[in-house]
Amino acid sequence: MQWILQFIIGHRNGSSLMLTVVLSLWMLSADETAQAGVSRALMLYVFYPVQYAVDISTRARNIFAENKRLRRELARMSTRAAALEEMARQNHRLRKLLGLNDRFSHELVPAHVVVREPSGHLRSVVIDVGRNNGLLPYMPVVGTDGVVGKLIQVLPHLSLVQLLKDPASRTSVIIRRNRTVGILETEDGENFFVKCRTHIEVAPGDTVITSGLGGVYPKGMRVGTIEKIGDDADPLFKRAFVEPFEDFSRIEEVFVLRLSPQWASFREALDSLELEE
Amino acid sequence: MILRIVKWVCVIAFALVLQSTIVRKVAVFGVEPDLTIVALFLLALKHGVLQGLYVGFVVGLTQDLYSPSILGQLALAKTLIGFFVGLFNEKVMRTDPVMKAVLLLLAFVLHDAVFLTAQVVKTAESAAIIPTRLAMDTLPRAAYSLVVVLLVYIGSLVMKPAGRR
Repeated sequence: MQWILQFIIGHRNGSSLMLTVVLSLWMLSADETAQAGVSRALMLYVFYPVQYAVDISTRARNIFAENKRLRRELARMSTRAAALEEMARQNHRLRKLLGLNDRFSHELVPAHVVVREPSGHLRSVVIDVGRNNGLLPYMPVVGTDGVVGKLIQVLPHLSLVQLLKDPASRTSVIIRRNRTVGILETEDGENFFVKCRTHIEVAPGDTVITSGLGGVYPKGMRVGTIEKIGDDADPLFKRAFVEPFEDFSRIEEVFVLRLSPQWASFREALDSLELEE
Repeated sequence: MILRIVKWVCVIAFALVLQSTIVRKVAVFGVEPDLTIVALFLLALKHGVLQGLYVGFVVGLTQDLYSPSILGQLALAKTLIGFFVGLFNEKVMRTDPVMKAVLLLLAFVLHDAVFLTAQVVKTAESAAIIPTRLAMDTLPRAAYSLVVVLLVYIGSLVMKPAGRR
């Protein structure tokens, strides 16, 4: 046995040739059934496993590529979903704004807030409509939930809105339930109050609306609700603290009521008198 | 060693894939180059008899299994050319390019002669087809393959950095 191995190793070229040629001839000489059997066996036990291994590696590579593609797709879809969500929110807000048309007979000019004060004490914002849209100073500005403020400066394409939060702002309001008229004020831009005489009955939950007496806001616009009652420095008065309907920290879209102040005609008359003098 | 085996497995597999896909599209008057024989020729020339005949056997058997030829027909033909070309192994014998070209032509002739003989024996066809087919099919195929090898060789020379030529 050993000498056979030694012979094969010593003549490995010849024995290898012999082996492969004999194998080839054996396959050649076999009948069709035997050839089919050999083919099947070779395919099944030799070539399919190799093919399978190649397939697995290819599939693994494809999985990596697909994973990469899906990650990219996910990022794209997330961005798109966020944009759609934002559009849905905007749609909701705009629908609410459109609802304002039913409440007010005045023409509404839609506007976007384009500049906000960077400081925490938000007193004014800039909107993207101006004189070219037919706006004038002192036109009232409303949001989806209530009064926002009024225009104090109007440029061709932009306008500056003074918010109710501005301590310099004074708004004539009325408490809807008992028709008490007062001035809505704030000292710090956070706490709003209406001064009322102490004997007047005011309760938390009462709705505060514009009175229409200040000449800027038309009567009946929603401002806020009374949150609590507090004392005033003057013992004859008390403070009804108001929680505004509008969330000033989140205003993005507003509407300007194209409505000149009631005293505009008086001012024109005064201006003409001054000119005559 | 392993890297060398992997390299040659890739070369042979690539040749097999090309042979069954692209080569048909570059046929001229129905004549196609045979890249599997070319790859086997290069391998046998570089590494010798043993590698040549075993790789020839495996490649031929693979082709037998995946083509309509008789089982063992291409295995035998490629085993024999692997062995034959391996005898002119570069490590043992220095061959010039012309000699290599002649060897490649001879490898083609040997391959097809064995292939056709096996076919004649197995299917009882007339043996007269052998010289005709060798002249009409094998020689043009061998010439076309030789041109492909030359183009690849020239291309490799051009691509190689000047210092390494």
